[in-house]
Amino acid sequence: MAENKFKAKEQAFKELSSKDKTKKIIDLLLNNAMYIIIVLAVIYISIKVPAFIKLPSIVNVISLTAAKLPIALGIGGCIVLTGTDISAGRVVGLTACISASLLTTTFKVFPSMTSAPPIIVVLLLVVVVGGLVGLVNGFSVAKFKLHPFIVTLSTQLIVYGIILMYLMNGTNNGQTLSGLTEGYRSLITGTLFSIPTATGSVAVPKYVLYSIILVILMWVIWNKTTFGKNMFAVGSNEEAANVSGVNVSKTIMMVFVLAGMMYAITGFLDGARIASANANTGLNYECDAIAACVIGGVSFVGGIGRISGIVVGVLLLQIIFAGLNFLAVDANMLYIIKGLIILIACAIDMRKYLVKK
Amino acid sequence: MDDLNQEIKQQTPPLRGLYSKVNISVKTLNIIIVVLVGLLIVCMAVGISKGGFRVTFDAQGGTTVEMQKRMYGELIEAPEPPTREGFVFDGWYLDPGAAIPWDLEEDTVTESITLYAGWKEK
Repeated sequence: MAENKFKAKEQAFKELSSKDKTKKIIDLLLNNAMYIIIVLAVIYISIKVPAFIKLPSIVNVISLTAAKLPIALGIGGCIVLTGTDISAGRVVGLTACISASLLTTTFKVFPSMTSAPPIIVVLLLVVVVGGLVGLVNGFSVAKFKLHPFIVTLSTQLIVYGIILMYLMNGTNNGQTLSGLTEGYRSLITGTLFSIPTATGSVAVPKYVLYSIILVILMWVIWNKTTFGKNMFAVGSNEEAANVSGVNVSKTIMMVFVLAGMMYAITGFLDGARIASANANTGLNYECDAIAACVIGGVSFVGGIGRISGIVVGVLLLQIIFAGLNFLAVDANMLYIIKGLIILIACAIDMRKYLVKK
Repeated sequence: MDDLNQEIKQQTPPLRGLYSKVNISVKTLNIIIVVLVGLLIVCMAVGISKGGFRVTFDAQGGTTVEMQKRMYGELIEAPEPPTREGFVFDGWYLDPGAAIPWDLEEDTVTESITLYAGWKEK
């Protein structure tokens, strides 16, 4: 099937005039400019620093991808609705701080506590907290008809204030939370399996597995449920969806609540992954997630996007940043590079739909 | 449900959502993409040529210690220990509170960092 399609395309390409051929090639180059740059950069980096394509580095990139995936999966839904969510990073920070303050051995935030609550209770608690922030976002977007950018800007600030106040609680005085319980840390960062190498072995952490489970779950939600189909319908044309009997407000709210839950899980994983949490945990995570979604083909045109695209987007971003880190590129310059990548991804995305018009 | 999606697709103009008010020709957009890609490559090249993580030393009241530039995975060259009136130098730490020590012979640099001097009273 795929082969036939390819052959038909090849045939059609041969029949074009030479002018059309150059146009086709330019189209192809420009539409895939981002992937071409990343591939070239990876080739350059692996020649310069051969350790970059060794197993430990590959496992490191995969682990980082797994850690950043849930937040991107959440934001992806908001982008399908032609919205965005810039409160994501702070929600990650808040949930990481809540997890780290409860699943600890020192109890600086709640001095009266003596033993950590069960891990599952804390997980449910942070998911509820994330879902609540998502509900506020979704309600304001659906009912006030405000642009998500404005709504989530306000929740971002509110959540940041809550994080700072939360960290001032008890005897903590705004300090970084650490001293996490062994159970929490080993549940997240414990070894899933290790790959033997010449100089020892490389451990793959357990959160990679959790990320894979979340990807499957989101794939089912997006592709196999009525909610998922409604989400795409609302994203591509709100009025048409409304006329066809889709409950638009409910769909928008559910997308944001689901996104909030995903940020909460990211925060829960991040607390244990970094082994500490403070007011800066999760800072700018939303930028990476939005960039990953746009690179992965979740379009701002609305109603278009695939889970596999998001996974590829996150992976590509992590590869390029891990590589630049290997070349010891300064963190200040990385911000500029990140900004340019988002801008290029948006321009390319826009171009694809402009050409079709 | 698929019928619904089909129907909606047919009714919808190709440019919608955030792009519904886009007013730019494909040609201009092509130039913009090429320029931005060029800029990105220049930034990466500048970043790589100026590569190196800054390791700064905060002597916390002692004599100043010069910063060092290190590549990924390198060790820090042991600097001249700082001195301070009434205190004995106790090694370098990752935090101002001198809780997380930095082993100059084992720990390698993976990002720009600041090391803080630890002091013990004489």
